Amino acid sequence: MKMISTRTARKRKLTTYAVREHGANLLFMLPAFLLFAFVVLVPFFQSVPISFTDKKAIFAKSWNYVGIDNYIKLLKNRAFLDTFLNTAHFTLVYIVGANLLGLVLALMIWRSSRFNNVARTLLFMPFTVSLVASTKVWSYVYTDIVSPLFGIPSPLGVSSQVIFGLAVIAMWRDMGYCMLIYIAGLQSIPGEYYEAACVEGANSWHEFRYITLPMLMPAITANVTLLLSWGLRCFDYSQMVLNMKAAKTTAVFVYEWIFGNSRAGVGQASAIILTLVLVVLTNLVNSILRRREVEL
Amino acid sequence: MKKERTRKLLGLSYWLSLPPRHRFISLARVIVLLFIITIVLVPFYISFLYSIKSHSDISLNRLAWPKHPTLENYARVIKENKYVAIGFKNSILTTIPTTLILLFTTSMASYVLARNNTPFYKMMYTIFISGILVPFQCIMLPLYMNIYNLGLVSTNLGFILARSGFQVSISVLSITGFIKGIPRELEQAASIDGCGKIRTFWRIVFPLMTPINVTQMVLNTLFVWNDYSTAVVLLRDDTSRTLPLAQIIYFGENMTELNLAFAFFTLAMIPILILYLSTQRYIVSGIMSGAVKG
Repeated sequence: MKMISTRTARKRKLTTYAVREHGANLLFMLPAFLLFAFVVLVPFFQSVPISFTDKKAIFAKSWNYVGIDNYIKLLKNRAFLDTFLNTAHFTLVYIVGANLLGLVLALMIWRSSRFNNVARTLLFMPFTVSLVASTKVWSYVYTDIVSPLFGIPSPLGVSSQVIFGLAVIAMWRDMGYCMLIYIAGLQSIPGEYYEAACVEGANSWHEFRYITLPMLMPAITANVTLLLSWGLRCFDYSQMVLNMKAAKTTAVFVYEWIFGNSRAGVGQASAIILTLVLVVLTNLVNSILRRREVEL
Repeated sequence: MKKERTRKLLGLSYWLSLPPRHRFISLARVIVLLFIITIVLVPFYISFLYSIKSHSDISLNRLAWPKHPTLENYARVIKENKYVAIGFKNSILTTIPTTLILLFTTSMASYVLARNNTPFYKMMYTIFISGILVPFQCIMLPLYMNIYNLGLVSTNLGFILARSGFQVSISVLSITGFIKGIPRELEQAASIDGCGKIRTFWRIVFPLMTPINVTQMVLNTLFVWNDYSTAVVLLRDDTSRTLPLAQIIYFGENMTELNLAFAFFTLAMIPILILYLSTQRYIVSGIMSGAVKG
């Protein structure tokens, strides 16, 4: 009798412990989760049904489900596909440029010294400027400095070059970020590897090709994946170049169709396509790059 | 020992002690870097230069250093354009609360997610992180409708909620990575001494998280202060405009008075540059430490 009572007591103690333990955990997660649910999770589940409707104005009272009509219409729409090409073009130039520049800079200043630390601080500074201000200021850098210096028109005024012009601005802003991540990667490579290579008679290209580059793969994966997702959602840069069809990205297309043209259903469908492309591409690129990472 | 070596890297005597080939390479490195840094800083220089020129100076020759540098543009833009003051007020009143909300909510959530490995917590982590892949354009319509129905469109509160919710994923990702690197012994000792969970967190873990918290706070400040895509959707009223919105509209209206527009740009950049330069040690090391774990 006595034994049973102690056992139940212990059990009760255990459950109250578990409740307290998990209760505290849940309480800790709750505020962040509520915020996240309110802004991302719930709207995401609301957004999918809207893309299957012919809803026009945002607060339209009557609308019908039209199945996948919006998606078919969009995939046949030349203007929409062009915005995708623009986005892809921008993202490609931006990823390659920002990563190459970031890597070259990182190779030059990865060791810590006072000069290198100051250089890092200054090279990361563009990241603190808003996309809006960067684009506006750069439009004057193009017209007042680049044009007279090289005798070419400002790329933001020429429809075949505008995407490249915007990608250069994005590179200027984000290459410092890539650089910091590459510096972290370079600092984590053990020095013995280079000593061993030196003994074996490797030259500096061999060292870079067979030690530095493979050991940097995690940093490359991180940078490429991050910049891919930033590039595909490019909105601000493109929005600043008004009245230029060649500069329009998919994100701007979505905004214009939902808030400008009052075609919420179609606009939402194009946003879902953008999200799908972003998720699939990011995962694909991530898994391809991950496979090339070497295990330590 | 190490410090001495790094100091030597800059020293002239060290440079002279190098073999000639290395002497050339190290000199070339410094020159190339100075050249790149100059190019990177050109846009900052331009916006400062244009902002201290008088109207006649700027139309005469844009790039020349002004004969009479003037701060009058700053005074004029603040006095004549009421949206400068409104923009500053709204940007400060949204950025600070957002950053603080994120500091407390995400550090608490990340602590739980980093210290529990059961399937439930793993699933919660995945849900939190999956938000990184959702572009704002995907959720902006339902979010706008929900915020409208709550009557929070064009209010600071609506913008604060939206911005902090959107920033949760990336913050949780970086902070969780950081906490996994903190040894558990201290927490275990505290719990043996009878310290409850909440007290353990605030008294022991939270102070240990200072480096990542400072980094996250500054990064979140940057993202909110510079945000345009959320603001353009949610802030539809002139009096609710944040700085980037106010800048764009002012710029569109004042194409002829570039000096004033640039004074506005520079003015909006100054607080963020001060913040960055005073915390740059944390930012640079924070980004470097959090990045390559993933």
